[in-house]
Amino acid sequence: MSFKYPVVMPKMSMTMETGELINFHVGVGDQVKSGDVLFEVMTDKIDMEVEAPADGVIESLVANPGDVVEIGKPVLIMLTETEVMAFDFGTDNEPVAAVEVVAAPAPVVPTPVVAAAPVILNETVKAVPKARVEAANRGVDLRTVRATGPDRTIMMEDVNAAQLDPAVTKRQAANKALIAKGIEMTRGIAQASFTRSVKAEFDHATFIAAWAKVLRNRPDLAVHQHIGVALIIESKYGSALPVFKDPDQSNRADLAALVASTTQAAKNGKVPVAMLSGATTTVFDLTSYSMSSATPLLFPNQVTSVTIGYESATTKIVSLTIDLNFCDFYDGALLLDALVVAL
Amino acid sequence: MGHPLSSPEHAHHALLYMWRIRKFEEAVEDLFGRGMMHGTMHLSIGQEASPTGMCMAMTLQDQITSTHRGHGHCIAKGADLTRMIAELLGKKIGYCGGRGGSMHIADVETGNLGANGVVGGGIPIAAGAALASKMMKRGTVAVSFFGDGAMNEGAFHEAANMAAIWKLPMILFCENNKYGMSSSTEKAFAIDNLADRGKGYGIPGINVDGNDVVAVYEVAQVAVDRAKAGEGPTLIIAETYRWKGHSRSDKNLYRTKEEIEEWRTKDPIPKFIARVLEEGVLTQEQCDLIQNDAIEAIKAAVNEAVKAEPAEPSGLLDAVFKAVSA
Amino acid sequence: MSDRMLTMAEAVREAMSIAFDERPEVFLLGEDVGIYGGAFGVSGDMYHRYGAERVLDTPIAELGIVGAAVGAALSGMRPIVEIQFSDFTAQAMDQIANQAAKIHFMLGGALHVPMVLRTPQGSGTGAAAQHSQNLEPWFASVPGLKVVVPSNPADAKGLLLAAIDDPNPVIFLEHKLLYKIPGRDPVPEGATRIPLGVSKVVREGKDLTIVATGIMVNKSWEVAEKLAAEGIGVTLIDPRTISPLDMQPVFESVEKTGRLMVVQEGPAHAGFINEVIAQMAGSSTFGSLIAPIKRLAGMNIPIPYAPQLEKAAVPQIDDIEAAAREIVKNWR
Repeated sequence: MSFKYPVVMPKMSMTMETGELINFHVGVGDQVKSGDVLFEVMTDKIDMEVEAPADGVIESLVANPGDVVEIGKPVLIMLTETEVMAFDFGTDNEPVAAVEVVAAPAPVVPTPVVAAAPVILNETVKAVPKARVEAANRGVDLRTVRATGPDRTIMMEDVNAAQLDPAVTKRQAANKALIAKGIEMTRGIAQASFTRSVKAEFDHATFIAAWAKVLRNRPDLAVHQHIGVALIIESKYGSALPVFKDPDQSNRADLAALVASTTQAAKNGKVPVAMLSGATTTVFDLTSYSMSSATPLLFPNQVTSVTIGYESATTKIVSLTIDLNFCDFYDGALLLDALVVAL
Repeated sequence: MGHPLSSPEHAHHALLYMWRIRKFEEAVEDLFGRGMMHGTMHLSIGQEASPTGMCMAMTLQDQITSTHRGHGHCIAKGADLTRMIAELLGKKIGYCGGRGGSMHIADVETGNLGANGVVGGGIPIAAGAALASKMMKRGTVAVSFFGDGAMNEGAFHEAANMAAIWKLPMILFCENNKYGMSSSTEKAFAIDNLADRGKGYGIPGINVDGNDVVAVYEVAQVAVDRAKAGEGPTLIIAETYRWKGHSRSDKNLYRTKEEIEEWRTKDPIPKFIARVLEEGVLTQEQCDLIQNDAIEAIKAAVNEAVKAEPAEPSGLLDAVFKAVSA
Repeated sequence: MSDRMLTMAEAVREAMSIAFDERPEVFLLGEDVGIYGGAFGVSGDMYHRYGAERVLDTPIAELGIVGAAVGAALSGMRPIVEIQFSDFTAQAMDQIANQAAKIHFMLGGALHVPMVLRTPQGSGTGAAAQHSQNLEPWFASVPGLKVVVPSNPADAKGLLLAAIDDPNPVIFLEHKLLYKIPGRDPVPEGATRIPLGVSKVVREGKDLTIVATGIMVNKSWEVAEKLAAEGIGVTLIDPRTISPLDMQPVFESVEKTGRLMVVQEGPAHAGFINEVIAQMAGSSTFGSLIAPIKRLAGMNIPIPYAPQLEKAAVPQIDDIEAAAREIVKNWR
């Protein structure tokens, strides 16, 4: 009794799909014993000798040396004396039904209701998630919303404020006009700017006290009798400029409390009238805008202006602008040095 | 069960199970070579006598843990051939529902706590099963099958020591096929006689020809009796040989052709057939019939398994935990 | 203790004793758990009450011990394994992650592993780098393990009883610093279970949601008390089971407060608490956030030895308080 047994291209690694037949070690009619090498095959990772599974004789050669054969397909046929375990179930080659892709309907974008005269304040918008949701729900374009949160992020408070509060808009406009008028007046004055990095930590109270102290040491550059440091505070109503008189002469704790309460008040749109005048210099903190510097402009009747910028978590940038009619370059550099040292 | 030569029934059992393992492994080799099985296979062709002999000294309630090369242990302990093939083919009716594959087959009904893909992973588990048997006074033994490679794992050392100090009813059965993947025992051990390691734990270490099912049985029965008498574990080193490479990705580069030829002459099946004929326990005809039975059984199992439904991904998430009953 | 203000060690011992009495198949094994009473005194007098047959002293062999527990669990027992420091679970990882966690799945449900692995974790005792880790993410990231982190004795008792009942492997992470102190609440009498996989809202407040694990729950509670006196309301949520994780109360709370802070002891990078953030970031509750999500976690360093360094390595009450104030103040 003899059994016809096809010797197939074996799967020799987990990823192998085909193998190359290198050469035969036997020919048609050859008698072979179990374990004799029949042919050699190769994949990119492995070359291997394929052995006879049982004693028998080679009936025919199916593939040719050099052929690339799929795994499971016959390379030669042999006749064996004992039955070899062999299972040929063929391959399933049913075509996969093409998947119909139904195009999703285009999403309906609600057109935002734009308030009268929308102004694009933010080319790129950073907003907390709920602010985005609310703005979308109310039809508010976040690009027109003034951001007062950390890192110029729009908070819920800002979205709520932008909700067409005419009083707010009016005050924003009024504040802007005031500042613009002041700046206009200083446009003709010769100015110079200086910049230094400072590795220090300070709050607003510390800063304005240090700056005032520095100025007090240069009476020759003074235009007024007193020193009044205006601190620009941003709120949803725009910029407020409360003035702190002679901050270097206040008790430090009292000054800190005053700065804190005034800041809070300014954010709510209220600054005591008494604090609205008498500024001899201005300080603008840009760090919450992640800015490193801006050209500090001179305000009316002031000869110096300072900005605080952000360089890194540990380093700030201090910039000073001076009125060249009153200070020259040397004075400017000295003033800035002194301020840095004082910090 | 009992001694393979003690009666025609026992001889029949021994020969049938060795043939079943042999033909099963050949069938797996064929199916894998055709690309019908995923992953890789670790075959034990030529190593049939060890699990067969050991399991003939055990009852159904006795437990085993096995290795990545575990088909032989599974079959010798009485596993269902269809469910085994079905598992390798990734079918729903497979022992693990297609989720475990060749290296993780377990069969609770026959006391099989599972094959293990981690070398040495099953040894402490078998110690734990033996501990439970002792604590619950069940009188059963737990056998851990492992290879020579596992003897250098920390798990072997920790389990052997705990089994020894607590006198657990356990058998540490090493199938020494002289290679842990590609490292030979000569290179991986500084001692020549692996059984000497038993001394280090204060337990007997016994060498046996792993290709002689009668010799394996005799040694196994001694170890089982010892364990059941509360005398503790035994280390059995069964010397055998791995015909095919470590797995189907193996290039056989590290053994010489002479080595391979020499061991082909020590095939456990013809060896046992010669013995039963010589002792007149079975006739040649009976032996031929047994071989045929095995072939037919494997063919039937494969044909049934191939037709079975493939495993599906739905239900995977629910399969991670056993549901907590209210 | 004449009243029910038990320490964590006492509560755990009480739970184990109740389980021992309820089921003969429950037993304890580990290093020094028997005669010595446990390295942290948790098993206490159990050896004398239950004997060497049920409280097993083992050699120093974590892999073998956990493996034996797995084998015993497969054979009808319910072992409680105590690993002396969670850092040493590294020795046993094959049996924990490759065996116990996967057996039920790999074997198609044929077998399961009803095992509890209890182990002390965390820093603050000066035990330094290899005895102080918080390894919550190691276990939480392995499918097939349930992971429980009790923050107080009352919870520990109920959770451990439920863990022993559970037919799956449960990793029970106790904090060393909590062993010898009582919690805020008395430990209930009786054998009531606290179900696994259910988060607890420890207190409610309108301004900020804090999700914390383990010892950080207690630190966060102190902060919440202080802020409450100033009118700042904190909702504090203790997941108790970190895997599987119950996020429902977190979503419900953040929808009201709009602010989320998560606090864990372990190193920030790839830590467990990031799972809370990830789920929040991808959820519909994301749109309720009015502030960025704040994460407080350990530094990405091994735990240092000197006390001031050890403290600096993990969040303290001051850190939690400062962060809470900052979020509520700056994000409106």
